[in-house]
Amino acid sequence: MRSAHLHRCSVLTVVVTVLALFAACGRGPGTDGGTPVPDGELRIAPQFSPRSGYAIDTDDPYILTQLGVTEALTSATADGQVRPALAESWTQVDPLTWRFVLRAGVTFHDGTPLTPAAVVTALGHVAGVAAPPRALRGLGLTVVEDGANSVQVATTHPDPILPLRMSSPNAVILAASAYTGGAPSVIGTGTGPMRLTAVEGAQRASLERFDGYWGGRPALARVTTTFVTDPAARALALRAGDVDIAQGLPESSLLEFSAGSGFDEQTVAAPRTVLLLLNQSAAPFSDPRIRQAVARAVDRTALAEQALAGSAIPASELFGPAVAWGAHEPPPAPDIEGAKALLVQAGHGPDNPLPVRLWTYQNRPELPTLATAVQAMLREVGIDAEIRIGEYGTQEPEVLAGRYDMFLLSRSYLTDVPDAGATLRSDYACDGSYNLNHYCSPAFDSLVARLDTATDAGTRQDVFRAAARMLVDDVVGVPLVHSQENGVSRNVVGYTLDPMAKQLVTSQLAVTG
Amino acid sequence: MIIRRLVSLPAAVLVASVLIFLLPRLAGVDTVRAVLRTRVAEAEPDPVVAARVAAELGLDRPLPEQFLRWFGHVLTGDLGLSYATRAPVAPQLTSALGVSAVLTVLALALAAAIGIPAGVHAARRPGGLVDRIVTVTSVLGVAVPEFILAPVLVLLLAVAVPLLPALGWGSPAQAVLPALTLAAFPAALAAQLTRAETADVLSRPHVVLARAKGLTDGVVLWRHAARLALTAVTSLSGLFFAGLLSGAVVVEVVFAVPGLGRLLYDAVLGQDLPMVQAGLLAVVVVAVVAALAAEVLQLALDPVARAAVQR
Repeated sequence: MRSAHLHRCSVLTVVVTVLALFAACGRGPGTDGGTPVPDGELRIAPQFSPRSGYAIDTDDPYILTQLGVTEALTSATADGQVRPALAESWTQVDPLTWRFVLRAGVTFHDGTPLTPAAVVTALGHVAGVAAPPRALRGLGLTVVEDGANSVQVATTHPDPILPLRMSSPNAVILAASAYTGGAPSVIGTGTGPMRLTAVEGAQRASLERFDGYWGGRPALARVTTTFVTDPAARALALRAGDVDIAQGLPESSLLEFSAGSGFDEQTVAAPRTVLLLLNQSAAPFSDPRIRQAVARAVDRTALAEQALAGSAIPASELFGPAVAWGAHEPPPAPDIEGAKALLVQAGHGPDNPLPVRLWTYQNRPELPTLATAVQAMLREVGIDAEIRIGEYGTQEPEVLAGRYDMFLLSRSYLTDVPDAGATLRSDYACDGSYNLNHYCSPAFDSLVARLDTATDAGTRQDVFRAAARMLVDDVVGVPLVHSQENGVSRNVVGYTLDPMAKQLVTSQLAVTG
Repeated sequence: MIIRRLVSLPAAVLVASVLIFLLPRLAGVDTVRAVLRTRVAEAEPDPVVAARVAAELGLDRPLPEQFLRWFGHVLTGDLGLSYATRAPVAPQLTSALGVSAVLTVLALALAAAIGIPAGVHAARRPGGLVDRIVTVTSVLGVAVPEFILAPVLVLLLAVAVPLLPALGWGSPAQAVLPALTLAAFPAALAAQLTRAETADVLSRPHVVLARAKGLTDGVVLWRHAARLALTAVTSLSGLFFAGLLSGAVVVEVVFAVPGLGRLLYDAVLGQDLPMVQAGLLAVVVVAVVAALAAEVLQLALDPVARAAVQR
C-alpha cells in the first residue's frame, strides 16, 4: 500500500511539474512584503498531519506548537540556547531538582490563569502515560508546587538539560479543564497566540486569535489549516490560491515558485542526515580498512548535487549546517585509488570484488536513488553491492541484531530538544539502544559521559563536535548528505521556515493585501 | 431469490470478518511496535513499554479470545478505540462513510448523466461523428488513471481558470473536482456499455416493428432500446458503488477529502488495527448490500430477467 502510494506520488509529481509548465501563464500576481492586512485570515498546508488525535504524548503536539496554540515552560533556539516562555526563569536547586518561576499574567484560552497547580497537572499527566514521549522518557519526572508562582521539577538522576527538555512540545502546559479523564483536550486549553476552535479529524483545524495572549495582540484573526498529505497536491493548492503557505513541496515543483514567480520560497538545512551504516560487528566491515575504502569511494558532493539534483547538502560528518555545532566544510573529495589500495590490502581487488548487501527502504524517496548511485561508486573500486529495498519496519529488527552489511538510513539527529546528547548515546554508545553500526569505543563513551554533568550549552556543543570528529576518524558508517526542508508562501509577511517544526504561526505573522 | 440472498448475507459478513481479523496478524505485523511508532515516531522499541502497551490494548491475550472479544463488541455496535487517536472508531468511521457516500453518489450520478445519454446517442448512428467522439472520449476515460486526471483537472479548473477550489470538503464547489475525477471511469464504461447494448437492441425485431408502426425515433430509442441497455449498466452500479466507496484513496488524498478511502489509507499506514478492521467490515457490508440492491433494480428494469426468476 505504501509503495503503491509512493509510486503514485512520484508519478503525480512528474505529471504536475510537466502540466504546470503549460498552465504557468494563468498564474496571478502577488509578492511578499506588501502591507499587512489587519485581522487577516491565513490558510496553510503544513507538511505533517496529526496522526494521533493531537494526543500530548505523541508527535502531534509539534503541530499544535507550530500553529501557535500551545506553549511550554521554556522555548529553545536552534543553536541550543534555552529561552523563557511560560516560565520567566529557572534555577537548579540541587543535582536532581530545578525550580521554575512562572510568568505572571498568562491566561489559558479558557480564561483561567496559569498557576503552579496547572503545571503540576499537565506535566504529571504526560510523565505518567504508558509510553512516555522521548523527551521525558526514563527521567522519573515529578512536579510539585513551590509557593504561589513556581514549581519544582525533579528527576531520579541528574539531568543537566532539564530546562531545555522543558521546551519540548510534549511538555506544553494545558488548562486544568483539558484533563477530565482520557486524552487531554487541546481545544480551547492552550496559552499561545492562536486558540484552537475546531478540528476535523486529520483533515482540518480552525484557529482564532487569542486576544488575551501574554505576548501581545496577534496580527491574524483566523487561521485555517488543511492537512494535505500529498506533496504534489500541496503545491497545486498553493498555485490555485487555496492556501497561502505550503511546506514540504516536491523538489521538482520548487522551480515554479522561484524568484519572480510571485511566491516566496525558503529552503533551510534540516537536522537530518542520510547515513550509510556499516555493520562493524561482522565481516567485512569489522575491518576498518574496508570501511575506510567505502568512505573514500563515495563522492558525497555528486550524491547531493547530481543524484538528488541539489535538494540536499553533502555531509562531511554526522551534524550539518542546521545546528550551531555542525560542520560547514565540504566533505573530502573521493579517493578512488586510495580506496582500491585499501581493498587490496584487505584481500580484495578487481579480480576478487567484495560482495556486500546494501539495504534500504522507500519511505523516503531519496533513499533508493542514493542506493543506486552508491552502488555505482562502490563498483568502481571493487565492491559489488546488491541492493535490496524493503519496508523499514521489517528491516529494523535484522539491523538491530547485526544481521546486515550496509544500511542506508535517514536519521534525525535532533529530536524534541536542540541537543544531540540523546542521539549520540542511543546511536553510538556501546550500550546504545539504537546502535545500528554496532560501534563500541570506550573513548567515545567516556567523551559522551561528560554530557551527564555539562549544563552549559557551549561545553555540550564542544562535546558534540569532538564526538562527530571521533565518528569520522573511526569510520562509523559514512554520512552521505544532509536533508533540507522547504516552505513557500504568497502574500504573507513574518513567515520563517523552522527546520525544527516548532514555529509557524506567531503573533507577527500576517497576510498582505 | 431475494430472501435466499438475505439469508446468505450474515454468513458472508462472518467469513469476511474472520479474514479481516486474521490477515494483519498472519502477515506478521508487529502491532505493538507499530502503535509505539505512531505515538512517538522513530522511537527505539523498549520491551517494558511495549509489554505495557500490549496489555493496554489487549494484544497480550490469545488470538481466539481477541477475535471473540472484538466480534462480540462489533455485534453490539462497539467498534472499539482507535490505536492512533485513542478515540472511538464508530463516529470517525460514520463521518468518513458519510463523506464517501456523498462523493460516490455524486460520481455515479454524474457518470450516469454523462455516460448513458452519450452511449445512446452514439448508438443511433454507428460510425458517425457523435459515435467517434464518444468512443475516443470513453477510451480516454477508461485509460487515464485518477492520479493523472486529478491534477489535470486542478490545473485546468482551479489554477489556469480559477473556477473551483483545488481542495477541501464542505461546500458544493469543493465536491465538483473530486466527483468529476471519480466519475470519469464509470462514465466511460457506462457510455461504452450503453452504446453496445443499445446498438444491439435497435436491431432486434420488436424495435424494427415499433419503427414500422410509425413511432418516432426518440420514443423507440428511449422507451424500447435504452431501457434494456440500462439493465447492463445497473448491474455494474452495485460493484461501482462499493469500489468507489473504498477505492477513492487517490482522489481523497489529492483533494483532501475526509472520506473512507483516506481514513483507511491512514489506518493501514499507521497499522491502526481497530480502524482498519472496522473500515474493511463496513466496505464488505456496503458491497454485499449494494450488489443486492443492484440486482433488485435490474429485475425491476428487465422483464425478461424478472420472468426467469419467477419461473
